[in-house]
Amino acid sequence: MTIRSRTTAVLAGLSLVLTPLLAPIIVGGTLRPQAVAAEPARTARVLRLGAIPDQKPEKLNRLYPLVASELSRQLGVTVKYVPVVDYTAAVTAFRTGDLDLVWFGGLTGVQARLQKPGARVLAQRDIDVAFHSIFIANTGSGIKPFNQQKGLAQLKGKRFSFGSESSTSGRLMPQYFLAQAGVKLSDFAGGAPGFSGSHDATIALVQSGTYDAGVVNEQVWRSSLHDGKAKRSKVVAIWKSPGYQDYHWIAQGDLDQRFGKGFTLKLQQAILSWRPSDPQQKQILALFSAQQFTAADAAAYAKIEQVGRQIGKIR
Amino acid sequence: MRPAPPLLLLLPALVLLPLLLALPGLVHGGGWDLIAEFAGAAFTPSLDPVVLQSLLAGLWVTVAMALLGWGTSLFGGLLLGLASSRTVWRTLVGQELPAAVIRRLLAVPRSIHELLWGLLLLQLVGLQPAVAVLAIAIPYAALVARVVSDLLDALPTANLEALRASGAPAPAALLTALGPPLLPGVLSYGGYRLECALRSATLLGVFGLGGLGTELKLTLQSLEFHELWSGLWFLLVVMLLLEAGVGLLRRRWTMPRRFALHQAGVGRRGREMLLALLALLPLLLAVGWALGVDPVALGHWQPLPGLGSGRWQAVLSLPWLQLVGGTLVLTALATGLAVGLAPLQLLLAAPWPWLRRLVACGWVLARLWPPPLTLLLLLFVLKPGLITAALALGLHNLGILGRLLRESLDDQSPAVQEALVAAGSGPRLALFYGGLSGVARSYLAYGAYRSDVMLRETVVVGLAGAVGLGSQMLESLSSFAWDQLAALLVVYALLTLVGEDLSDRLRRRLLRQA
Repeated sequence: MTIRSRTTAVLAGLSLVLTPLLAPIIVGGTLRPQAVAAEPARTARVLRLGAIPDQKPEKLNRLYPLVASELSRQLGVTVKYVPVVDYTAAVTAFRTGDLDLVWFGGLTGVQARLQKPGARVLAQRDIDVAFHSIFIANTGSGIKPFNQQKGLAQLKGKRFSFGSESSTSGRLMPQYFLAQAGVKLSDFAGGAPGFSGSHDATIALVQSGTYDAGVVNEQVWRSSLHDGKAKRSKVVAIWKSPGYQDYHWIAQGDLDQRFGKGFTLKLQQAILSWRPSDPQQKQILALFSAQQFTAADAAAYAKIEQVGRQIGKIR
Repeated sequence: MRPAPPLLLLLPALVLLPLLLALPGLVHGGGWDLIAEFAGAAFTPSLDPVVLQSLLAGLWVTVAMALLGWGTSLFGGLLLGLASSRTVWRTLVGQELPAAVIRRLLAVPRSIHELLWGLLLLQLVGLQPAVAVLAIAIPYAALVARVVSDLLDALPTANLEALRASGAPAPAALLTALGPPLLPGVLSYGGYRLECALRSATLLGVFGLGGLGTELKLTLQSLEFHELWSGLWFLLVVMLLLEAGVGLLRRRWTMPRRFALHQAGVGRRGREMLLALLALLPLLLAVGWALGVDPVALGHWQPLPGLGSGRWQAVLSLPWLQLVGGTLVLTALATGLAVGLAPLQLLLAAPWPWLRRLVACGWVLARLWPPPLTLLLLLFVLKPGLITAALALGLHNLGILGRLLRESLDDQSPAVQEALVAAGSGPRLALFYGGLSGVARSYLAYGAYRSDVMLRETVVVGLAGAVGLGSQMLESLSSFAWDQLAALLVVYALLTLVGEDLSDRLRRRLLRQA
């Protein structure tokens, strides 16, 4: 054995001895489940704000930092916007305590409250009391606008896209209305509907002809028409659904303990106080497509919960 | 009569026939303008500093997650590999049974795709960087463990027995006799796992675990192709650098290719390898610290809500036959496509060097794009469904297999091909009989292993709607139906275990004949 190969062998042996010693440093704590409540240090005085990603990231990134700075000014605490990638992730982050205040849709809000008992419904927009879904179609698809719900049967055999799997206006209520009109999910071309992920994506995909038809929430549809993103020559509205309760603000149940007595009420009052007369609040309300926020309570979402259970999205 | 090896190589390509027949019926052509826009954007990526900054931040997170997950899996895998080695147990306690037991147990974490680990951990501990790291580390460690124990048990034991006979204590004898010859194989495989880890980390991002993948998904979903391409170019640079770096080290240390993990004796560069290995530790710790990985926070488990109220009747009523059938067909189609197309493309392009380079570029792009992104692109022009999903999965793996095929062809001595050309046969025939016949068996053996990977990966193309277990899993997850998820996981694990066994047998047979 030459000196060199002996050194190699010794070093190799040494490394094999060392690895077991060093590995625990990396894997270490991960293998010890501890039943400790959330660390106070991690959640102390920062209110973490979240929202379901129902629209383009650019719009969310414009709106929620504004909301964070406005709430921060009104409440005197640090408010941080935490983006999430999909609806399910928003619900999960609320349950695991990674988000304190979240702008949820109807369905995701119910899911979140059921998973996190004690959570509080704070407010909804004026338009959320009777929110509508708009069914849209590519002009080349041959689908004509209609007034009666049973006109939805035209969509059988077409390529159809919902928004997110957990969207209230882009999936839950539309699926309910489709079922009432006798359209099953397996009736669409390809044996299943698509899930575009967000309302903006649905509009873009129907407009391009990737899907013949789709369904989006009324507010996003209107603003897309308004800013020219949706071109009437390529995509048209074919039916407007009956109204239902949708989006709402939900807060964790323990905010009073963490931020001081009466904090949840102060937070609710702050949101309800936004008016178009204040420049920054005006901008926020415009991005929300609302005149103002109104108090909301959990009972209003009983219908959503019932439909959710029927479709299997709530268990 | 048995077919010649190179013919065997083209056999999987037969799956192309039904695919080509089905394709015209699938095209809806709605989004050709979007595809054109996407392709055009490749040359005009967004140069907006704000965009670039956020993409670079995402890239750093992805690379850091990949590096940490990989490093953890390497160290964990080494330990577990030792623990599941027959030789080690026999030498230490004179009993092989524990090795077999541990090996069987490790099959379970291995059978679950890193994406599923990620989504499960996300539910348990909330969103934090450590989730992605751990999601990569768990299945990878089990994979590394299997390779390490296979390598260990295949080593000649003469040295070990000699040391034992001369009275050396068992642990010392093991280290001295098996440590040095084990290293090159482990490091070679380890380098390959790092490339895999980068792909995995990107994929996890696509499903919301942070990093560049998240940015790619969001930009594609909002059809911001210019920004998408800025991200893809960044990823491409990192991927190519990594591949080149790993290739360089492998050549420098004259290590065996990953096709055939045969032992090549003590590496001449053992010291260098060890230094690299030891330098890795502080690097990993630094990256972990910078990424904000907090091992303690991983301990704060959140209870899953509604676990007690499992509705098993409803779980049973899921269309299991259809789900499993769909998953298997998807795997078979994707495997045929990926394994069969690579040699076919090489043969077709053989006469023209520029076309060969073009094919290689296509492979780079195919493995660069995470399968869900490819799928979203395909959906612009193809109807959703099984075949579309198989295309997305198959193309991604084609990129990986094609590169391996080319590498192993380059490794061969060019003499046979040159002789054939000199004797007057065309470039295609020369490649067919001179090049491909030599690598056919090892390529197919690797293809068998890859089919196993594709079976696990079917979960990531669930977006195409009603394509087997993957789609159902995404739907169950968004309904927070833990009972369904648990049942789906068990079925998935069983399927991959059976698949692994079958592909193992096939691989051993192919390599034996080689």
